[in-house]
Amino acid sequence: MTEEQLSDPKGRSPFFYGGIMLAAYGVIIALASTDAINSATALILMIAPLGLVIPMMKAAARRVDAGGPACMGKGAAQKRYMKRVALFTSLYLIALAIMTFADKSYDPIEAVRVILATLPGLAIIGVFWAIGRLIVEEQDEFMRMLIVRQSLVATGFALSAASVWGFLETADIVIHLDAYWWAVAWFFGLFLGAIWNRIEYGTWGAV
Amino acid sequence: MKNRLKVLRAERDWSQQDLADRLGVSRQSVNAIETGKYDPSLPLAFKIAEIFAMAIEEIFERD
Repeated sequence: MTEEQLSDPKGRSPFFYGGIMLAAYGVIIALASTDAINSATALILMIAPLGLVIPMMKAAARRVDAGGPACMGKGAAQKRYMKRVALFTSLYLIALAIMTFADKSYDPIEAVRVILATLPGLAIIGVFWAIGRLIVEEQDEFMRMLIVRQSLVATGFALSAASVWGFLETADIVIHLDAYWWAVAWFFGLFLGAIWNRIEYGTWGAV
Repeated sequence: MKNRLKVLRAERDWSQQDLADRLGVSRQSVNAIETGKYDPSLPLAFKIAEIFAMAIEEIFERD
């Protein structure tokens, strides 16, 4: 631990870990899209940056306990949200690891493949559910509005990106993207929504 | 909507966090209301009025 971290009980910002995670995904996507690595390697590599979710959640919890800076609200609903997201992210990692391992180790029957392939998606649905519960449980109306704004920006961004990419793909201009990437685009949209909140209201929001 | 929150708070020597704790909201919410970036709902406006022992229209006024 550095001297700076020792003097600052809040430690590094959750956005620091989020930024590293996004950068790592950017590198993996660049490697995959330039055929430097194959799709199976890309999938396995994508598991590693997700490990940053744990320090990111811990950093966020430290900030909440420290009273919350200008970029973050505080409250029981947000703590529950972070715990839920950490749980479903962990389940996602486990499901993805099992699916990759089963696919590489043996050739499972179709029914098993369906179950294994469904599990990561269910974990992602869990994250969407956690955001929905945060909107329902958040007692601070201003913070709730910021979350709703972020979600709307994320939805608009993901659907717009999917629409444009879909037609470009049909015209054989861009590579094929698996549909789960639109969930990733949605989460990136949350980040854009947080920036918009910061510009318009001076605070990032709670997601 | 304009409001007198900052003045009323200063008169009582309350920080934004003090008022936020009394209202049960975040400091960011108080800041957003105070700077006119966010107009509170009617229930929250009533709560603010109750804390300052004033009528809503004595705290908030239309632009």
